[in-house]
Amino acid sequence: MELTNNKKRVIFTKFGFIFFLVCMILTGIIIIYFLGFIFYKAYPAVASQGLINFITGSQWNYGENIYGIRVFIVDTTLLTLLTLVLSVPVSIFTAIFLSEFASKKLVSVVRPMIELLVGIPSVVYGIFGIFILENLFQNQVNPLIDSYLGFIPIFHDSNPSCGDGLLLASTVLAVMVLPTIISISEDSMRAVPYEYREASFSLGANSWETVRHVVLPAASKGILSAVILGMMRAMGETMAVVMLIGNVNVIPGSIFGYGYPMTSKILNDVGFYMSEPDKLSALFGIAAALFTAEILSVALARKLGAKK
Amino acid sequence: MRRFKGKLFVGLSYISALIVVLSLFGIIGTIGYNAIPYMTLDFLLTPESEVPGFGGGIANAIAGTILLAIFSPAIAAPMAIGTAIYLKKYARDSFLVRSVSFLLDVLSGTPSIVLGMFGLVFLALYMRYFTGGMSLLSATIALAILVLPVIERATENALDSVPAELEEASYAMGATKWETITKITVPCALSGILTGILLSTGRAAEESAVVILTASYSQFFPDLRVLPNKDLIFGLEIYPFQERIGALPITVYHGFEFPHLVSPSESYAASFTLILIVMLINLGTRLLLRRRKIG
Repeated sequence: MELTNNKKRVIFTKFGFIFFLVCMILTGIIIIYFLGFIFYKAYPAVASQGLINFITGSQWNYGENIYGIRVFIVDTTLLTLLTLVLSVPVSIFTAIFLSEFASKKLVSVVRPMIELLVGIPSVVYGIFGIFILENLFQNQVNPLIDSYLGFIPIFHDSNPSCGDGLLLASTVLAVMVLPTIISISEDSMRAVPYEYREASFSLGANSWETVRHVVLPAASKGILSAVILGMMRAMGETMAVVMLIGNVNVIPGSIFGYGYPMTSKILNDVGFYMSEPDKLSALFGIAAALFTAEILSVALARKLGAKK
Repeated sequence: MRRFKGKLFVGLSYISALIVVLSLFGIIGTIGYNAIPYMTLDFLLTPESEVPGFGGGIANAIAGTILLAIFSPAIAAPMAIGTAIYLKKYARDSFLVRSVSFLLDVLSGTPSIVLGMFGLVFLALYMRYFTGGMSLLSATIALAILVLPVIERATENALDSVPAELEEASYAMGATKWETITKITVPCALSGILTGILLSTGRAAEESAVVILTASYSQFFPDLRVLPNKDLIFGLEIYPFQERIGALPITVYHGFEFPHLVSPSESYAASFTLILIVMLINLGTRLLLRRRKIG
C-alpha cells in the first residue's frame, strides 16, 4: 500500500514536469510558427523584387506587380518620430513628478488615471480624433501653427481645409503611448536608491538639480527602454492611425501633410487581395519589415534591461 | 538663477502631469457627453438585426465582445501558466529558456495588425475547414495568441512573489515537486495569476485590428445551435463558434467606415460601452490586487 502510494507520487511528479515542459514547448512552437508564417509568406514578393528594391522602391502597383515600400517606411518613421517628440517630454516630466515631487496621496490618485488611459481601446482614440479633434485642428491648431511658423516649410499648412494628417495622428498616438513611457520610466526612477538623493541634497543641490544630475543619469537605461517600448507601440498602432493620417501614398511635405504608414496600408488592402497570392505576399512583405523592426527593438530593449 | 531654474522645472513636471490627467478627462468626458443621450436601454439590449436599416442596436456586439473576452483568455491561460511555471520552477538558465523568453517578448510587442493578418490568412482562410472562415473561433484563437504573453508575464511575477521559505518548508516535509507546486506555489500565487487573466480579458475586449480582420461582423445575436454544413469538418456547423460574430470595436469602426449610414452618436455610444466594460474589468483587477496586499 505504502509502495503504490509512493509510486503514484513519483509518477505525478514526472507527469508534472512533462506537462509544464510541453506547455513551454507548445508556446515556443506557436510563436515560431507565427513568425515563420509571416516571413514565409513574404518571401515570394520580396524575392521577385529583390530585397533592396523592395525596401527602397517608391512605387507600389498591383497591376504591374511592382512593390516598393520606401514611402510606407518613411511615413511610419516620420509618424513615430513626431509621436515621440510630442510624448517623450511630457511623459518623462510626468514620471519625474510621480516619483520625485508628488505626495503619496496625489500619486495614488494620478496613477490610476494614467492606467485608465491604457484601458481606452485604440479604435476609440481613432473615433475621438476624427470626430472631435479634426475640427479643432482644422479651425484652431493648424492655422495657429501655420501663422506663426508657416515660413518654415515643414510647418506650412498647404491644405487648410482638412484637419487630419500627420500631426493629428501623432497627437493622438502620443496620448496612447504616454502611459507606457510614464509607468516604465517612473519604475526605473523609483529604483534609484534613496541614499543617492540624500547625498546630492547634502551637497547643497536643490530638488531639480538632484533630479537632473543624479536620478536621471542613474535611471537613464530604464528611461531609454521605456522610450523604445513606446516607440514600438506607436509603430505598430493601426486603428487610430488609419482613421487619422489620410492614407495617401506620398511622403508628407509638412507636419500637416497626409501619409500612408505600413500598418494602414496592410489594414486597408489585405481584405481585397486575400485570394491573390502574389499581392497578398507583397502585403506580407510590409508586415515582415514591420516585424523585423519590432524584433530589433525588443532585442535592444532587453539588452538595456539586462545591463541595469 | 539656480532657484529660478529649479522652480521652472518643478513647475514643468506639475504641468505635464496636469496635461496627462486633463487629456484623460477630455477624452472620456467628450465621448461620455456625446454618448449618454444615445445610450438608452433599448439601444443596449436590441441586436442590430431587429432594427430596420443600419445600426440602431448593439446587443449583438456586446455579446460578441463578452464571448471573445471570455474564451480567448480561457484558451491561453493553461498554456501561459504552464509555460511560466516551467520557466520559473524547472528550467535552468539554458539557451532554450532564454530563447523562449525572448520569443515571448517579441510576441508581446507584436503589432496587432501583423497578428490580424496571420489570423485572416492562416486561421480564417487556410483553416476554414475547421474554423468556418472568419468566425468567433478564428478571432478567439488569434486573440489567445495576443494575450498569451500578458498572462505568462503576470504569472511569472506572481510566482516570484511566493516566499521561497514556504516551498522549502514543503520540500522539508517530504513533498515532491508536483505536490509543492500544486499545493503551495500555485495557491499562493493565485491572486497574481488571476490578475493577469483579468488584465488579458480587458486586452481581448479592447483589441480592434485583430478582431476586425478575423471576426468579420454579424448583426445577429449569437445563439447556440448546430446545423449541417458540408464545407466544414464533420459536416456540421456549430453556432456561434464557426459563425461570423459582431464585436464592439467593429461597431465603433463602422462609424468611420460608413459615415453616411451610421451616425457618429452610434460610434460614441458603442465606444463608451466598450470603455465601461474595459474599465469594469480593470476595476475588478484593482480590487483583487488590493485584497492580495492586505490578506
